Amino acid sequence: MEHFEQHDRFENEELSDRELDSILPEWKSPVTPQRLCAAVFPQAPVSWWRTLWSTSIRVPFPVACGLALVLAFVFWRWGTPPPPRVVIQHDRVEVPVVKQEVVTRTVYRDRIVHVPPAASRFNASELQPVVELRPRIIRRQNDQN
Amino acid sequence: MTPQKAFDEYHQAVYSFAYRLTGQPEVAEDITQECFLVLVRDPKRYDPAKGTIKVYLFSIARNLALKQYRDQRDEQPVEDLEETLVIDPRGPLDVSAAVATAVTSLPPLQREALILFEYEGVTLEEIAQIVGTDIGTVKSRLHRARQRLRRILVAYRKVGNTHGAL
Repeated sequence: MEHFEQHDRFENEELSDRELDSILPEWKSPVTPQRLCAAVFPQAPVSWWRTLWSTSIRVPFPVACGLALVLAFVFWRWGTPPPPRVVIQHDRVEVPVVKQEVVTRTVYRDRIVHVPPAASRFNASELQPVVELRPRIIRRQNDQN
Repeated sequence: MTPQKAFDEYHQAVYSFAYRLTGQPEVAEDITQECFLVLVRDPKRYDPAKGTIKVYLFSIARNLALKQYRDQRDEQPVEDLEETLVIDPRGPLDVSAAVATAVTSLPPLQREALILFEYEGVTLEEIAQIVGTDIGTVKSRLHRARQRLRRILVAYRKVGNTHGAL
């Protein structure tokens, strides 16, 4: 608290400019009431991103834990490199096939097989009548015959 | 400058100006509110060519304070108001209240010039724009206001070597 002296004996005196300048700031103005801003801007539009940024929702703790686990699993899955994929390619390849005839005849080692001559194996059933008869005369003088 | 930014920057200055002009916190609050509502409702009314936003806001506040003053004083011309103030030096030693009483006792035109210059740091040119007069008139009002205050507040001369004791 500054001390000031009361002077009632110098009624005709005046303060100097310096004295007046030092006294005037003693009068302080009160601070603006907080309600003034609300009165001037009663429905101040709030930008959507600020609303989005300040919006909060209440989530039960178990749900939050479950969401955290799911998110952790998803991030883990994305973080690990995927296993190499097996590509099945279908191509058509031509392979030569060697046919082998299976002989199922019994062969005796010590047995002598008598193969009949070709004449003896003549079969008359092979003879068939001709459809058109074409006789041919063969002369004796023909040396070629 | 948006009204919100102007409010953030100047609402305290406008409120202090209105408070010191009227001496009543409630009236000062109303004047400040009305002042910024004018800016919010019709921002295009502010013409930057006529002065800064600070000058514009102080002009509105000044007009509202004068209107309020005229309503209280009925039709008495503000230029002719020369109130006689007696500060009893034998009273309680409250310099703040004494300065407030002394400044409030000044004629309105001198008071507004002194408040703008001494308390709000407004330049003489800006004061001339706010009150709608020339710089010479502002200087004259300031001189008369300070001369009057020097006489009124002589009883509160600070004792000590700092500001020159008797």
